[in-house]
Amino acid sequence: MNDPNKVWLLPPFGQGEPKAFEAKPEILVPAMVAGWTQCDPPASEEVKTDVHD
Amino acid sequence: MSTTRLQELLIGFGKGKQTDIATANLVANIWQLKKLNAQLANPKLNTENDADEYGKGHEFATQTFKTSWDVSGTLEKYLSAEVSAWAMAFGLGKVVKSGTTPNFTYTCTPLFPANGDASELPYFSFVEQIRPGAGVVLDRMAVGCAVEGGITLPAATLEKLLPSAALALSINGTDYVTNKNVVSVETSWKNNIRLDAGFFPGSGFQTPGDATTGAIRGRLEFGNRQGALKFTARFDNTSTELTKLKAQTTGTATITLTFDANNSLAITWQKVSFATAELGETDQIVTVAVEATPMYDSTNGIVSAVAKCGVDGICQ
Repeated sequence: MNDPNKVWLLPPFGQGEPKAFEAKPEILVPAMVAGWTQCDPPASEEVKTDVHD
Repeated sequence: MSTTRLQELLIGFGKGKQTDIATANLVANIWQLKKLNAQLANPKLNTENDADEYGKGHEFATQTFKTSWDVSGTLEKYLSAEVSAWAMAFGLGKVVKSGTTPNFTYTCTPLFPANGDASELPYFSFVEQIRPGAGVVLDRMAVGCAVEGGITLPAATLEKLLPSAALALSINGTDYVTNKNVVSVETSWKNNIRLDAGFFPGSGFQTPGDATTGAIRGRLEFGNRQGALKFTARFDNTSTELTKLKAQTTGTATITLTFDANNSLAITWQKVSFATAELGETDQIVTVAVEATPMYDSTNGIVSAVAKCGVDGICQ
């Protein structure tokens, strides 16, 4: 389960690594205008199980 | 035989975006909503003929050729949380979805190709049906539509309406609801889609690979986009519209309509100044009619919309 209060965005022109942003308009809007686009969370973020348990 | 009444018309359209302009939405990605206007999305077939060709011995046409197809339409609806989320996402073009059921939040902005965004809006399929099935009168789908503006439709989505009584309105530093002065407000966004540029060498045919079926558009790019904001407010001794017009004061304009905590629409023009402010009257009360000029803010762009509703997957 992903955090509903967090979204992952890819940098402008798809150059670089995805970054997590707090899902608030005042944070998302400047990033979206600057070219960041939503993407799937990195695979490591989707796995929540602690493999050492 | 029973006549066909237009009230039987069913419409459905892509809740999610198509994977590309030519690939129709899957049924699971289409929702059925109701609408107000009677207009049908009639495809228009453009034809040419051989009248101008020499060698026939006369000036008359002997055959016609399907050259291209056009389709457009207008969708008029009562504003709801669901359709406002759809319109903002598909109309502005860029969307980030967050939240979870029953509170999905769609943050929407226009596309800026200079910053790496696409120059094409997200595409959706549009379905019209009258008595689908054995007694069909009309059953067709337009694929690859963009907002300027034979499947089984799902049950109609129950919408949560956003009435004007729920309005919150703040423009250029004034809360027009708190001071009870707002009379009307109107805002719009026009994409001015480059229709002629949609046809290009290789754009494709109505039936793929069949050159006799008429060309179709292979892209729908937005042109020079235009935003607008107009409002009328009562004018009294505390009114500041004329002062702000003369000073060309700038500020944000926020229009918010709320059904409940999970269903709402908030549109923010990031920077506006007043282009005109004219005194007049509404029902014998002195009012001021203002046209604002939306401007681009270097941080927040020109406009953004935050739409909340309980429907997942809009424009995804």
